[in-house]
Amino acid sequence: MSEMIPIPTPDPMPLPGPVWLMLTLLLVTFLLHLIAMNLTVGGALMAAICSLRRKTDVFAGRLASDLTRLLPVSLAFTITLGVAALLFVQVLYGNLLYSSSILIGMFWIGVIPTLIIAYYGLYYSKSHPNDTRGLWLSLVLLLAIGFIYVNNFTLMMSPQQWLEMYRHSAAGLNLNWTDPSLAPRYLHFMLGALAIAGFIIFVAGAWNRSTEYGQWMMHKGSHWFIAPTLLNYAVGMWFLLALPRNVLITLFTADRLGAILIALGMLFPIAAVAHVVLAIRTDKTIVHAKLAVLMTLLTMMVMVGLRQVVRAAYLDKYVQLRELPVESQWSVISIFLILFVAGLLTVYIMVKQLHRGSGESTKLRAPSS
Amino acid sequence: MNYPLWQIGIPGGLVIAMVAILHVFISHFAIGGGAYLVLLERKANRENDSGLLEYVKKHSVLFALLTLVFGAVSGVGIWFTIGLVSPEATSSLIHTFVWGWAIEWVFFFVEIAAALIYAYGWDSMRRAAHMAVGWVYFVAAWASLVIINGIITYMLTPGRWLQTHGFWDGFFNPTYWPSLVVRTGMAVVLAGMFGLVTGLRIASPVREKIIRYAGWWILLGLLFLVLPVRWYYSDFPPEAKAYFTTILPGMHHVFNLGVAAAALSFVLTALFAIAKPAWLRASMVAIILLCGLTIIGSGEYDREVARKPYAITNYIYSNDLRLAEMPALDKTGFVTTAKWVNRSDASEYSTGQQLFRMQCGVCHSLNGYRAMARRVVGWDKEFAKDALLHLPKMRGTMPPFAGNEQDRTAVATYLASLAPAPAPSADEAAQGRLVFEERCAMCHTIGGMFRPLEFGGMDVDAIDGMLQQLDVLSPDMPPFHGSDAERKALSVFLHSGARIDSRSSRSGQSQ
Repeated sequence: MSEMIPIPTPDPMPLPGPVWLMLTLLLVTFLLHLIAMNLTVGGALMAAICSLRRKTDVFAGRLASDLTRLLPVSLAFTITLGVAALLFVQVLYGNLLYSSSILIGMFWIGVIPTLIIAYYGLYYSKSHPNDTRGLWLSLVLLLAIGFIYVNNFTLMMSPQQWLEMYRHSAAGLNLNWTDPSLAPRYLHFMLGALAIAGFIIFVAGAWNRSTEYGQWMMHKGSHWFIAPTLLNYAVGMWFLLALPRNVLITLFTADRLGAILIALGMLFPIAAVAHVVLAIRTDKTIVHAKLAVLMTLLTMMVMVGLRQVVRAAYLDKYVQLRELPVESQWSVISIFLILFVAGLLTVYIMVKQLHRGSGESTKLRAPSS
Repeated sequence: MNYPLWQIGIPGGLVIAMVAILHVFISHFAIGGGAYLVLLERKANRENDSGLLEYVKKHSVLFALLTLVFGAVSGVGIWFTIGLVSPEATSSLIHTFVWGWAIEWVFFFVEIAAALIYAYGWDSMRRAAHMAVGWVYFVAAWASLVIINGIITYMLTPGRWLQTHGFWDGFFNPTYWPSLVVRTGMAVVLAGMFGLVTGLRIASPVREKIIRYAGWWILLGLLFLVLPVRWYYSDFPPEAKAYFTTILPGMHHVFNLGVAAAALSFVLTALFAIAKPAWLRASMVAIILLCGLTIIGSGEYDREVARKPYAITNYIYSNDLRLAEMPALDKTGFVTTAKWVNRSDASEYSTGQQLFRMQCGVCHSLNGYRAMARRVVGWDKEFAKDALLHLPKMRGTMPPFAGNEQDRTAVATYLASLAPAPAPSADEAAQGRLVFEERCAMCHTIGGMFRPLEFGGMDVDAIDGMLQQLDVLSPDMPPFHGSDAERKALSVFLHSGARIDSRSSRSGQSQ
């Protein structure tokens, strides 16, 4: 049967770097992209909801406005970090990803104008704090973009669906509706986004707990974190059971790593929740908050790793990354790694400068009068 | 054909061009504009001019909104589009240059971070630190051009890479340096052009000062560009130069349009930004910006056209077929090996239509851009089959047809069905002209610039005799397939060629 599935032959050129390096960079940049995306999408939802109560609840209004100011920045980093992940996924899985992108081409290219509008919507709401229309519009558009992404990245793993879709529309007016794992996957991601955004608010509150607003953020953030996280256990289970049988079997029997990651993926979030509760209930707030950060980061790392293991299980029949020829361009790779470190250092130094002065650059030396 | 084909009714190349030109317009502004901002900030600080500083602050808002949002996202848009339209070529680029892109990404990351800190840091940073961040932004933005320029120019002139497949051989290719210099110059011009946009909305007397300052960026940038553009062109491949000078007058027209836009913006700037800045109005700034877009558009268009018939010169054709796979396709057949062919309707017409879309659709539409229906008027199946054998010979801009006899017959059947035969003309010479346009004009012009046909001294019968053995005269020519009457009419027309010269050569060159 597999001859009937039109999987494009991988590029005849060898991979320009070892698979482990590409995969590491893919997973690391995807993790960072995920954090920024969660803050943006979850933060936009929280800001929108808080803005509904801004007239009756001072803190809700303040959080809405704080988030609104932050969102254009976090979206900028969502995009920037996403670009890197998209680059490395193309090298490894280009033949699958280009195919699925073409099949949903109209929606895929639609991401670009949608993103531009969503982005301007966020800037609009930043400069018009009392008008929440931009925020709501952006939120809806960002959720739609997430849906298209989930569509593409499930479709790239399901080549058996491709030909039928292509016959349905060669213009790319397809979406991958039939995949049973699509709905739980999307929901899992979006609930996770809300949880992580809530978690970030909790952490911000914990570090500012001496103020009333900080206390409020801690409590509010913990609610936003805990409820979706617990719900995500159910959705995660649904997601797991919706996976194709062969994938599930591979995960639990053939691939020990898959089973371990699933176990850890159930352990770390509950540990994170426990530390969040302890941070609020005990006086060792910072200790527990730090442990909660660690557990949450571990959860995200496990989830990103598990996602890759699931992908490998899906594609087991079609792609063996280890079999691709490799001819590493070490000279360029070294330059990249050096510049990467230098770049991070530059950004770090610049951020540190951000609050070193007091508006000197807009105030000129001595008033001439 | 390895990948599915994105069929949206307009040629994919056109979609890439639209996204790319808008992106290049904003991204070059994003580079020059960085230097423009910091230099003006320094000037304001040195001259202790609070009005000017207020302007720089305002300008930085427009700058951030345009470059961070539209500039960055449309750049991602190019990626999306090339992946949809030319997945094979995109994959090849990624495999060759992924680390180049990774380096560019580092600069992109620094650039975005610096732009945000610069825009947000006006009220909270020390002056020197704020300006340093501005410089970091500019250096990172320009460095990302330094990288991407290597990849773009590689596609036109891969140079030694074709033999070595080495990263640096492809990166530092024959057009790398002139292109980098031209793009840098253009970044300066665009920084000035956008400087006028915000300059307009400032109160006098700072307004005049800013408009003059921005005006100088435009004038000096444009003057600077003259020599590098010539240098760039001199390093074009010989085939591309032939397109420019003789084969594709359209390319020359587009270049002239760009030059005209440069001249117009130069004059407008000299008059209304330098000489009389008080007279500058929004409408003029709009025209100047449109000129900027036209300059960018003409440059990008000509660079893309110059690359025909390739996506990556001498490596992958513009229809995403690799040179290396052509012999196998000719032997085993295209339809039999293509992965995404719908074989449920195996009629010649349906197969031909699919093949046409796969091999020709990236450049040709049916009735719109580079319309095929207009180009095959009067073609019968036999003629179309012969024509398909000689595609690269026509103008040098088309890849060869990939496939065997059966594939060719299918496409010929489809092409012959696209346009009804025109009604014959009563006048023999006029009829001959029609026949010429149908059967000869895709390769020849009479007395024109491209493969001119000269029949000085020959009578009608001698010409008619030649027409009967075209394939003997040259292996690059198909035999004449038309009726005897058509051949006679063509002979009469060719004999009287000089008289009808101008009209026919124009229609012959319109491809």
